[in-house]
Amino acid sequence: MSATLLDPPPHLSPPTALRLSQQAPLVLASSPASSLPWPISLLTSSETPETWSVHENLLLACLRTGDDRSARQVLDRMVARFGDENGRVMALRGMYEEAVAKDKGALEKVLKEYETTIQADPTNMPIRKRHIALLRSLGRPTDAIAALTYLVDSSPTDAEAWAELADLYASQNLLSQAIYSLEEVLLITPNAWNIHARIGELLYLSAISNGEGGGSYKGFAEAMRRFCRSVELNDGYLRGFYGLKLATSRLLSLQAPKRNDVSAEDLPLPPVTTIEKLNELATSKLAEIVRRGSAKEAGWGGYEEAELIAARELLDRDGAKVVR
Amino acid sequence: MGQPVVQTIHRDPALFYWILLPITVVMVLTGLLRHYFMTLLQTAPKKQTLPQIRQQRSLVRGINLRTNANVLSPSSFQARKAYMVSAYQEGKFLADPDSRGKPRPNPMSDPAMMEGMMGMMKGNMAMMVPQTLIMGWINAFFSGFVIMKLPFPLTPQFKSMLQSGVGTRDLDVRWVSSLSWYFLTLFGLQPVYNFILGSNNAASQVTQQMGQVNPGAGMMGPEQDPDKLFLSEAENLEVIEHQWILEGVEDRLLAKMAV
Repeated sequence: MSATLLDPPPHLSPPTALRLSQQAPLVLASSPASSLPWPISLLTSSETPETWSVHENLLLACLRTGDDRSARQVLDRMVARFGDENGRVMALRGMYEEAVAKDKGALEKVLKEYETTIQADPTNMPIRKRHIALLRSLGRPTDAIAALTYLVDSSPTDAEAWAELADLYASQNLLSQAIYSLEEVLLITPNAWNIHARIGELLYLSAISNGEGGGSYKGFAEAMRRFCRSVELNDGYLRGFYGLKLATSRLLSLQAPKRNDVSAEDLPLPPVTTIEKLNELATSKLAEIVRRGSAKEAGWGGYEEAELIAARELLDRDGAKVVR
Repeated sequence: MGQPVVQTIHRDPALFYWILLPITVVMVLTGLLRHYFMTLLQTAPKKQTLPQIRQQRSLVRGINLRTNANVLSPSSFQARKAYMVSAYQEGKFLADPDSRGKPRPNPMSDPAMMEGMMGMMKGNMAMMVPQTLIMGWINAFFSGFVIMKLPFPLTPQFKSMLQSGVGTRDLDVRWVSSLSWYFLTLFGLQPVYNFILGSNNAASQVTQQMGQVNPGAGMMGPEQDPDKLFLSEAENLEVIEHQWILEGVEDRLLAKMAV
């Protein structure tokens, strides 16, 4: 999988980010703006929308790898092209200032700047998001949650914001709020298998904290169904199978409650045979992914090393139990 | 039987250099100029205020809930439905709650509407003024010239199209007059502009007219009352039949993977 500056993967691994940021001199050498005076420059400039996506991604990669000087140059170009007042450029400049800030005091100053910008123009979504991200990285999650709930109230179709809110809630151990936010994400992107699996994970966690009893059994069953949906949408999704295996093992170890304490509104609990079959399916599929993914077979790349190790560890634990 | 007589007219080659080429070049250049002129004239779309964004996106949220309801569990869906319906009916998301229930103001008195109309006027003027000038120029200098011969035969119906300004009954249809050439270039240069300016240009009148058919169309055009939209969306939500996608997912998955 080759990462380009035009379309980098959402999660850059450190070596890829370094490789991308090393392309900075190349991009900076070719100027998109023409040096000719105005009417002629319109005809000779070679800029396309892609030019600026490349610049933006380059800026992010440079900030990440600590190449602040190239970042500054890229940023200056964007400011020269789009002006100071463009929301997106403002957010990128904010990111740059956050990156070069020496201590907490400097970050607080950036935060103040964000707040004045938001007061001047409350519709500036990129800056609002930077504001929330900075609040979070300053270790003030409650403030971040407050700002973010205000954001999703005024812009409830923003899947990114809802997902961030879910993450913040989950970090504060407010699991039901986190699940609610993730459901909002699903309403916007109904086929996002990772969100289905994430809801499954949160349901699983909240079922664990519920302790023993019929309620937690129901929680595990719902988590299992979420994982099922996620691997139904993507049959190579390691996290989905991992969760499916965990949830089904939990269910098999628990005593199924009697039928009558399940409310009629929700789905009936799945029969034990189905759970066993699902457990087997998840085990075999995980084993296949681990085997082929570690061998780096063609078409099986792209699994993260850490996830593969965790999956192997889960399988080994399971195998050890059987031997014993 | 003799062959049909082929009409031959000896044209001065200067006709080509001094009429056909100038008309074509002028038409192309006018199109290019109009494109840049329109780009200059375009006012940036007015920024929405936060309550307006909230109003619009809240409606979209209701629509999302309606179309993708099957990802939610029944209890969660019922809770959301109850909240959205009551909020819609109370008008909680309205940008301007005070004007609820009042009739819409006259669009002529609304400055935002006036701005849109001004934009349309500008577009029309940029179209009409140069065309009037060029047509006057051609009529004054080149009227009555036969400037080229098409390399293929045509039926007599094309006579009025190809020979406007030349009042000769017996002239073969293949001869094209200068005024007709002007009309042909006026309507036929769109591909040339696409080639020079890219497909999203404002050079031709065709795209101009397309843009005017529905100015400011969208979810919440200025003519629509947001309150009415919310109420109808609330009704839509009320009648929706909910089915959870997780129902029977285990069996589906097992059947799919069993192969």
